[in-house]
Amino acid sequence: MDKAIESDILIHGPFEFIRIHEYSSYTLELFMAYDSVIIESNNRDFVEKLVRAIRTHNSTDIYLKPIFLLKSSKVEDPLINNLIDGVIFSLDQLELITEYVKQIILRIKDFVFVKSISLEADIISRAIYLMVSREKTELFAWLYLNSGLGYIYPEASIQFSPRDEYNILSILDTAEEEGLFTSEFNDRIYLCANCQTGILSYREVCPRCSSSNSKAEDLVHHFPCAYVGPISDFKNAIDDELNCPKCNKNLNHIGVDYDKPSLLHTCKKCNHNYQDYHVKAKCITCHNDNEVENLLPRTIKNFYLTKKGKNVAYHGFISTSKDFNKIPGTVTFDVFKIMLEYEIERLRQNNSTSNIAYLTISNAGELYSRIGIERQKILISEMIRILRKNLRSSDFIAFYNASTLILSLNDIPTKIANNILNDVVKITTILLKKNFKNVEIHIETFAKPLNIDFSHEIQLQQLIKRFEKED
Amino acid sequence: MDVIAQEVDYFFSYISEVGTNKLVRIFWFFAIFEFSRLFVVDLLALIFIYLKRKLTKKKRKEASRQLFLYNPLISIIVPGKNEGKHIFKLVSSLKEQTYKNYELIIVDDGSDDDTELICKSLKKNNLIDVFIRNEVRGGKASGANTALRVAKGDFVIHLDADSSLDRDAIEQIIIPFYENPDVGAVGGNVMVRNYTESLATTLQSFEYNDAISIGRMVSSYLGVYRIISGAFGAFRRDALEQVQGWDIGPGLDGDITVKMRKVGYKVVFEDRAVCQTSVPNSFKKLTKQRLRWDKSLIRFRLRKHKDVFIPNENFSILNFLAFAENIFFTIVLNMKWYFYIIDIVINFPGILGMILVMNFFLYTCSNAFKLLLFNFFRERKNSPIYIYFPFIPLMVLYHGYYLRIVRTIAYIKEIFFKSSYKDAWNPEKTSIKAKQIGI
Repeated sequence: MDKAIESDILIHGPFEFIRIHEYSSYTLELFMAYDSVIIESNNRDFVEKLVRAIRTHNSTDIYLKPIFLLKSSKVEDPLINNLIDGVIFSLDQLELITEYVKQIILRIKDFVFVKSISLEADIISRAIYLMVSREKTELFAWLYLNSGLGYIYPEASIQFSPRDEYNILSILDTAEEEGLFTSEFNDRIYLCANCQTGILSYREVCPRCSSSNSKAEDLVHHFPCAYVGPISDFKNAIDDELNCPKCNKNLNHIGVDYDKPSLLHTCKKCNHNYQDYHVKAKCITCHNDNEVENLLPRTIKNFYLTKKGKNVAYHGFISTSKDFNKIPGTVTFDVFKIMLEYEIERLRQNNSTSNIAYLTISNAGELYSRIGIERQKILISEMIRILRKNLRSSDFIAFYNASTLILSLNDIPTKIANNILNDVVKITTILLKKNFKNVEIHIETFAKPLNIDFSHEIQLQQLIKRFEKED
Repeated sequence: MDVIAQEVDYFFSYISEVGTNKLVRIFWFFAIFEFSRLFVVDLLALIFIYLKRKLTKKKRKEASRQLFLYNPLISIIVPGKNEGKHIFKLVSSLKEQTYKNYELIIVDDGSDDDTELICKSLKKNNLIDVFIRNEVRGGKASGANTALRVAKGDFVIHLDADSSLDRDAIEQIIIPFYENPDVGAVGGNVMVRNYTESLATTLQSFEYNDAISIGRMVSSYLGVYRIISGAFGAFRRDALEQVQGWDIGPGLDGDITVKMRKVGYKVVFEDRAVCQTSVPNSFKKLTKQRLRWDKSLIRFRLRKHKDVFIPNENFSILNFLAFAENIFFTIVLNMKWYFYIIDIVINFPGILGMILVMNFFLYTCSNAFKLLLFNFFRERKNSPIYIYFPFIPLMVLYHGYYLRIVRTIAYIKEIFFKSSYKDAWNPEKTSIKAKQIGI
């Protein structure tokens, strides 16, 4: 159905709300036409299903849509609670939420949406769009029974099925490494070594056959005859007295006639006797019986959005730096820093000139959105190929981010370094024009000589500051 | 030395004058007991054993084949306190065994050192099958009974933690069960590992090599073998359960052997099943150990199992002889030696020095002769025989004086003061109870 029933369209001031209940017939695309979605239901499963569908939708017009719940009670579920924008108990309360809806819509209007190059970058940017549009800065982990991990980050984990939720931990760690979030410790969890979910059943099992079917009995030592056996050996069918099966004497006084030196477990499956049971963790999801020492330890953190993270919503987040680690012809940024340090050291001993430079695509957000993810990768690889062709093998390149390359151009005057960069810009522009009609690329370059009196870190910071200012 | 040379000269001129009858009168103790029992009987028995082995070689081979055919599970039980440091060495020697189907059960009897930690680590690495930690010490017998309780094997081997085994020791100690179904228990051949450590250990090694090992071969052949060493002994599990395991010690290894015999099982010694152990490395420690052993002889042979001498429906002539021989050669002969000394002092005061020197000479010759001759019958030698040569004369003092005096003290202490009940070897709580009920 592409059109809502008239009675479900609620107009309040300049805003149009669409009301959805369990028996409504709708497609998610229908929501694009409205400013907000009102879900009228007390059925938790229905609400969760619909909220999930909206918040995981590909279109920004849908997944950032304000959602309100019209119901008779408060929402306890942390997933739903964090993904909706509020609860109203009657339609009379619509006017209370209009201002909030307006704020969300206004914020979203300022956002720059770019296509991310990787799943990681996509998940991070979607979470940030959602948070910034609601002026949230906290991305907390909530204990959640229906989660694959036992914890859920509502704005981020929603993108995964419970079975794949473990991915969110490394993605958020990457986001933290990129400086988009800071974090604080929340908890430590252990995941199944096979499927990486965290709903585990810890059981005391037989160390030989792993069966949890066992009985435990005190071992009794009768002093006069040295008989040792479980307490059941000493019990008789007639009275409550304890009689020694070996010497037939009564056991009257613990510590005087007998003691209980140990507790013994007997496995009912393999008949093995043991004192120290083995603890195993059975995965409820994949049924793998994990050795406890093989479980995967993970830290659950609470995250806080940084200013840099907030900027993602306004500039787009194309890729994480990890996305470029494996592009041939480049080194990682960390390796670049080490090599730069060596280069400065080398210059101190040889009287020559080397340069540090950047090459940045100033309209990367717009460009990448237009050419698509696959072509982004091709464009980047092609640009690196052109660079390598024009540079010598002693020069080195690293990605600073998805739109900026940092270069070290060694043993050449700065003027020549700038000429080389200009040549690369020309060739890349021609190449792009040839392959993509109506697409423009704006590339900024800058090269400056390395100063042997300053550390590599200071000189890198100065360079980064320069292009970030331009940006 | 001049004095001794003079006495020897005097002896030879004296015997040429007095004749054989008088010589026997003077050296009757050596001639009747030591020479006849410990040399002639032993030698004859060893010859018979040698011949029997030649004749029953096929039977033994068949028993060995059956052992590997049936491949029974063997439970190796090792109870002990503060023995953790020895366990890895023991485990290593077990891993080398030709017979592989065994389970290793370690019972930590209230150790207050790192034993628990070591054993748990070995258990984690599957080098121990069952490890039971008793938080409070209960004594050796309760430790062994705890292990027996969880043992699953058809046969149970009791080992001391500081033992290590020859590669085929388990195979060799189990074969006798397949040679004769009446065998309920087999004693292993314990040899001294630290025989070069000190004079005390060398003399003990000599003793184990000669008196103990050969003595047990002979007594086993004669059917009067009476003690399965706790360091290395094998039992049929059903037989052990029939006698309800070990009773409290000290001397529980001798006690269990008697219990086995009393219910009708044959008990044999297997000299080819070799275990090495460390013996006390000083005379102080050795004295303590031997006092404990000798006291247990009185406590168990004369008190607890005195019914062996009473002719009733359970009377067994072999058990009677085993006990009688044991008591005669240890208790009676020990006392008789004092009687001999008194006899010589009273009747031959003029030639007392000459008699003492000559006794020393006779025993030395006898020891040397036995060492060389019996060596022929030992299938497995622990150490080169020549290392014992310089110690042959010392063994006369060791056996004749040192051990005899220790034995006398032990007997007096046990007969008159029941001092074995005060021995710290057993926890006080069990000793009090044992004394109360008179076992």
